[in-house]
This record gives sequence, C-alpha cells and structure tokens, in this order.
Amino acid sequence: MNRRAAAGLLILAALLVAFPWMTGPYALSVATLILYFAYAGQAWNVMMGFAGQLSLGHSLYVGVGAYVAGGIFFHWGIGPWAGLWVAIVLCTLLGLVIGFLAFRFGISGVYFALLTIAFAEFTRIGFDHIAPLGGPGGLFLKVAQRDTIDLLNFRGPPIMYYYAILALTAGAFIACWKLLHSKVGYYWQAIREDEEAARALGINVFRWKMLAMAISSGMTAIAGVFFAFYYNNLFPEQIFNISRSIEIILGPIIGGVGTLFGPILGAAVLTLLSDGITEAFAAMGLDIPGIKQVFYGVVLLVVVMFLPHGIWPAIARKLRL
Amino acid sequence: MILQVRGISKSFRGLRAVKDASFEMTEGTINALIGPNGAGKTTIFNMIAGVYRPDSGTIVFRGREIHGLRPDQICAAGIGRTFQIVKPFAGLSVLDNVMVGAFLRERTSAGARKVSLEILEKQHLAPKRDLPASSLTLPDRKRLEVARALATRPSLLLLDEVMAGLRPTETDQMVEVFRALNRSEGLTILLIEHVMRAVMALAQHIGVLHHGEVIARGTPQQIVKDPAVLECYLGEETEV
Repeated sequence: MNRRAAAGLLILAALLVAFPWMTGPYALSVATLILYFAYAGQAWNVMMGFAGQLSLGHSLYVGVGAYVAGGIFFHWGIGPWAGLWVAIVLCTLLGLVIGFLAFRFGISGVYFALLTIAFAEFTRIGFDHIAPLGGPGGLFLKVAQRDTIDLLNFRGPPIMYYYAILALTAGAFIACWKLLHSKVGYYWQAIREDEEAARALGINVFRWKMLAMAISSGMTAIAGVFFAFYYNNLFPEQIFNISRSIEIILGPIIGGVGTLFGPILGAAVLTLLSDGITEAFAAMGLDIPGIKQVFYGVVLLVVVMFLPHGIWPAIARKLRL
Repeated sequence: MILQVRGISKSFRGLRAVKDASFEMTEGTINALIGPNGAGKTTIFNMIAGVYRPDSGTIVFRGREIHGLRPDQICAAGIGRTFQIVKPFAGLSVLDNVMVGAFLRERTSAGARKVSLEILEKQHLAPKRDLPASSLTLPDRKRLEVARALATRPSLLLLDEVMAGLRPTETDQMVEVFRALNRSEGLTILLIEHVMRAVMALAQHIGVLHHGEVIARGTPQQIVKDPAVLECYLGEETEV
C-alpha cells in the first residue's frame, strides 16, 4: 500500500467514525446495511477472491450463526458474546465438512458451487422443522429497549449497531490485508490461478483450501450473529434463501473479486443505488415488486460487460494506487 | 546416488507407456532423458514428480522411497520441476510468482521476497518483477518457470522441455544459466529435451528412451555413436 492509499483509507475511516453525527436515522440505517454487506462480502471474498472457490451458499453460515446466537438469547437470555463463539465454531465445522466432501473428492468449479447451494437449501428446509427455533413461523428476539446501550446483551440504539458493524468491517479489512500479504495469501492465490502448478511448488492444496473454507465460514457466522440482533426476527425461508447468498456475493463481484476494497465499494454502490431506485419509484407512487432484483441484474450485466474485474481495479488504476 | 529409478512401469488403459525403466543420477551432475515423441519421457518425469504413481518399481531420492508421494510432498523433499506447457500464476506479478515458491522454505514475506529477488536477478527477470506474469513473452515465461522452481530450494531440478520454442541464442543463454547453477550450487539437473543443441551442450549423462524402454545410457559421445540410438532416434548421423 502506498502513501496516498493509506491517507485515503484514513480519511475514509475518519468519515465513517464521524458519520452518525453528520446524518439522520435513515442514512444511518442505510450505512449499517452497507457495512453489513461489506463485511459479509469480505468473508466470502476470502474463499472466492483469494482461494478461487465459488460458494453460492454463504447464506448457510449467516443463517446458522444467526439462529445459534439468537436461539441461545431467546431461550436462556444469554447475550451474543457466548452465542458468538458457538456460532463461529459450528459454522467453521460446517464449512470444514462441506470443504472436506468437496476437496477430498476433487469437486471444484460449478460442482462445488452446486454443493454449497445444496447444503444451504437442505439446512433451510431442516430449520422449518426445528420447533424450539420457531420453525417456519420464525424466531423473534425480545427487544426490551432501544434507548441505552446494553453491550452485554447487545441491545441499544441504532448507533450501537452501526459502530459494531463498522468495527467488524474494519477488522475484517485489516485481517484480510494481513492474510493476503502473508504466506497463506500467496498460497491461496497460487491455488486460485493454477492448482497443478501450486502443487508442484510444495503446496498442499487440500489443506490450504480447507483453511480458506474455515476462515470464510467462521467470519460469515459473525455476520449472522449481527443480523440476528439487529433485525430481531429470523425466518428460515428468508435467511437461508439463495437470494441472500447472491446478495452477499454481488458486492465483491461488482466491486472487484479478490481485491480488499472491492467488497466495501461494491456493497456501497449496490445498496445506495438500489435504495435510491426503490425510493425514486416510491416517490413516483409506483410500487413494483422485484424492482430491486431487476436492478441488481442490470448493474451486474453492465459491470460484467464493461468492467469484468469490477469497479475497484479500474478506479485503483486511475488513481495509481 | 541422489536419485535411483529401479524398474518402474506405467500403463494407461492397457497401453504400456513405460516398461521396466531404470537409471540413476549422481549428485551434482546434469542428466538428460531423450527419445522420440511418445517414448515415455514425460511419463517417467511425472512419476518422479509425483503426478503419477508407478504401477511397479521404486524411486529412491536421497535414500528415501518417494514413489506414491503427492507432488507437494515430492517438492518438499527437495525435487523442483517445471512444466512443458508453462503454468505461470497469470494474475500475479512476476515477483509474487517466485515468492509462492520461496514460501516453502521461508516463513515471512520479507524472507521470501529477498530470496525471490536474488533468483530473479540470476534469471534476468529482475527488471520485470512487477509486471503481471501474463504479460511475459514465452522465453521469459520459461525463465519464470525455472525461477519459481528454484525458489523452493531443490537439490534436484526436473526440467520438462524447458528449451522448446526458444531461439538458438535464447537456448544458449538458458544453457549457461543451468551450467552456472550446477557449478556454483551443485544443483543436480534432469532434463527432458528435444533440442539436441541444448542436450549436447549441457548433459554429462544421457538416457535414451524408446517405446517406454531405456535402450541406451552413457555420455553424449557414447550416445551419438550407439547404433541402437542412431537407428531409432537420431536417424542419420548427419543430423547431430
């Protein structure tokens, strides 16, 4: 990273920290959403962008993470700080099981993607039948108050959630920067580019792919825990839905797969534009269901056609970062 | 003996690609395997490198049986290789390509970078270190292939047709690089090669393969006079 990039990053960080004092509640909720997608996108990027393994089932880890921490809070009133670890461990194990099945038996590319979808789908169906977690009727977390910050139970005003997700996104950015510039990052990229050549350089491809799987799924579990305590209601039909997985990956794809800043930029562009579109249509008195999906499709099409590596690499080149 | 290949065979769907092949290599020597297309050179190469497991026979590297190990284990044991069809990590820079190899023996990025820069210097690639590997010309890609393998600090280097597609002057330059590596670092080299100019200039020992069998072994001088070799491979003496 050169000096100008570092300076730019510092300014951005300062702006994000000051953001809640400069705007209103609506902007804050949009910003929270952007950061949520930036974080989840960063987690997915570890697998696809770094190690080259396409997962289309990351909603699985969001969902399991959310239900585990949410369920523990719902039944025993224990805040997310305990549930968080259970969620991380469980999702990491899930990721390792899927990874083992895929990588041990040489399943890759599209077939790997299908496997990840399959796991998310049958988990979705499975959760419909778990009565203690509400089944298809959903799980609702109690909201006692929204005025004071209760960190122990992760209950409080929107600003608390904003700073929590900001810290997560910043942490993920730094962690991914470190990973990418260390041995593991080099090994992942080598595997992404050419597995056979990677093997010939002494890289145990199976082992490093498993590590990518573990880190990515564990990180995504944290997004799930945040989701549960921010939205307070969980439905298997929604949270495990493949469209949720797609939402997570659109940010990094549009921003730039494999780049560190791509997931953040992509999440911002997508969320701002899609919210803008929804608002604009609402202002005109039009309520068109599915307009957001159509919009996602158009944006994806434009980016794939004109900026196949994503928006961020093009900007970085222009700015000579 | 750094490498002993004893009676290895390999069949593909009933077709015997390599039949009971044996040879050995002394530490610090440059050796070549030659033979017409389809003679089984690449199959032998891939058995040593761990891509294929021999159906029978043993491969002993520095006193340790290595047949049946995975390619990454073979590399970790100290055997580096290049690919006939070069396989650069296209999206990474030249330096990063070499660093991937260097991480086998180096823990830190700084250490890997240092080792890699030294190797790039010797391979005449230092000025291009920040370019993406995809932008290199074929001779440079071949050099990168060698640099990356060297970064794993092998004691035996396997070169699969590394001269193919190079111009004579580029071949001579490459020959010089390997000679220097052999001389200064005592690197043992096994090359599979079609370019006789390079084989004759480099190899101290040559094995000739024909229909999966080793039909002759010896110094370049002995090989070019061997009647069996002349008949099957070199054709007429004037071609040499």
